[in-house]
Amino acid sequence: MQGVLRLSAAYVPVDPMSPPTRAATIMRDCRIAALVAPGDRARSVLDGDLAHIPLLAADSSASTTAVPEPDDHIERAPRRSVGTEDDLAYILYTSGSTGVPKGVCISHRNAMSFVEWAAREVAAQSEDRFSNHAPFHFDLSVFDLYAAFLSGACVSIVPEHHAYVPRALVEFAAREEITVWYAVPSALVLMVERGGLLSQSGLKLRTVVFAGEPYPIKQLRRLRQGFPGVRMFNWYGPTETNVCTSYGVSEIAADRSVPVPIGRAASGDRVWAVKDDGSEARIGDEGELLVSGPTVSPGYWGRQPHGDEPYRTGDIVRVEPTGDFVYVGRRDEMVKIRGHRVELGEVEAALLTHPEIEDAAVTTAGFGIEARLVAFLAARGQPPPLLELKGHCAGRLPRHMIIDSAIFLGELPRTRNGKVDRLALARMAAEGAMPT
Amino acid sequence: MTREEMLAELKDFVGRELLDGRDAGLNERTPLLEWGVIDSLSIAELLSFTSERFQIDVPQDEVSPENLEDLDAYVGLLLRLV
Repeated sequence: MQGVLRLSAAYVPVDPMSPPTRAATIMRDCRIAALVAPGDRARSVLDGDLAHIPLLAADSSASTTAVPEPDDHIERAPRRSVGTEDDLAYILYTSGSTGVPKGVCISHRNAMSFVEWAAREVAAQSEDRFSNHAPFHFDLSVFDLYAAFLSGACVSIVPEHHAYVPRALVEFAAREEITVWYAVPSALVLMVERGGLLSQSGLKLRTVVFAGEPYPIKQLRRLRQGFPGVRMFNWYGPTETNVCTSYGVSEIAADRSVPVPIGRAASGDRVWAVKDDGSEARIGDEGELLVSGPTVSPGYWGRQPHGDEPYRTGDIVRVEPTGDFVYVGRRDEMVKIRGHRVELGEVEAALLTHPEIEDAAVTTAGFGIEARLVAFLAARGQPPPLLELKGHCAGRLPRHMIIDSAIFLGELPRTRNGKVDRLALARMAAEGAMPT
Repeated sequence: MTREEMLAELKDFVGRELLDGRDAGLNERTPLLEWGVIDSLSIAELLSFTSERFQIDVPQDEVSPENLEDLDAYVGLLLRLV
């Protein structure tokens, strides 16, 4: 990634857990010039119309393009071409509501505005050790990597298989003497509840940052009380803006029953909420959060740029008396599964490609780490088993978008204007049309 | 306990607990992680079932994508640990 940026080129991190068909869709969409990947994984993708793409394989024997010798490299390295801060630095693909992933373009200015702000916010120093828990295609990793580089700190990459063992994550944090840990609340909750984080000895943590989804208040209170000397931040921002609000979590009132605020403007951005009537939300009002400023993406790859328009997040917030924003919910069908953004429409589109599925509506059940995707389906004939549907999804979607349950109905409930009645489905999912 | 008995018990557990009570189509080669049959939450359940039912504690280092790829790989691991 560093090498690509030094060439003034742009990189596109692809979810290593996503199926080859999706990786290929992304590579076609962004018209990649070269692929860097492990040989076996690359071979599953570089096929057909992508077969001519040069490959730099992690195991160099499989590379189809020459890997320069170290000395050679210095001599012949292309000079860094002079770009502008509006040049593209990287593209992050996220779930798209129409069934096709969309590429969020991030310029150097976008990224640097966030990174410089974030390093100041956590007072990053060269003695720090950051953990990198989020995969590279997930924008949480931008902080870990680049705030560490900016401040001359060290970053320790969490081995992939630790993700399955909360205890291993906690021991990693102690062993690597991590001082700054940034993760989705789901991961932190697992580390506290099942990994023994609060009783682990030898921890050097001084700052814990979380983002991506609301932190359930009971569990956050436990973390806050367990680590009285650690600074904690709740950051907020979709991929299109990176972090655009920040809230420092100090003592949590005993009677607070809703998540802590997402806070106020960050990264040099301006954020405000607009009510349904178009006027700006005042204290006590709810409205959609809008963002403008240096971290706002110029747009999606291959689509019309946003121009100078503020970015509409689709998130509904309430304005607290302190001026902080509190996250309330979504305007649309986008949900979060353990911090990952999921457009329900994309899951539905994948299910509808199954020959036996006539109609599909997907909803969520449960909260926090227990959140699950439940599909309500109408079949043409014999309903296919859940396992078959999971396999079908796995061939088209990243892992966190695979359905957890399938419930077959004669037909899906509809509202009077003919749309799928999602409220009724959400009720059914919550009520135990659910297996336990 | 034989490999087949172990496999049958695990299949039954995965079907009952993780697949809405139906194990239709589940076999020892079904990709467990790739198809999202198990994830970081249900792995903990699988490990505690393994510990209770077979008295085998899987060490942290062995909880790897390779050993959890499918039931065949997992049973292979358990037999090595016995």
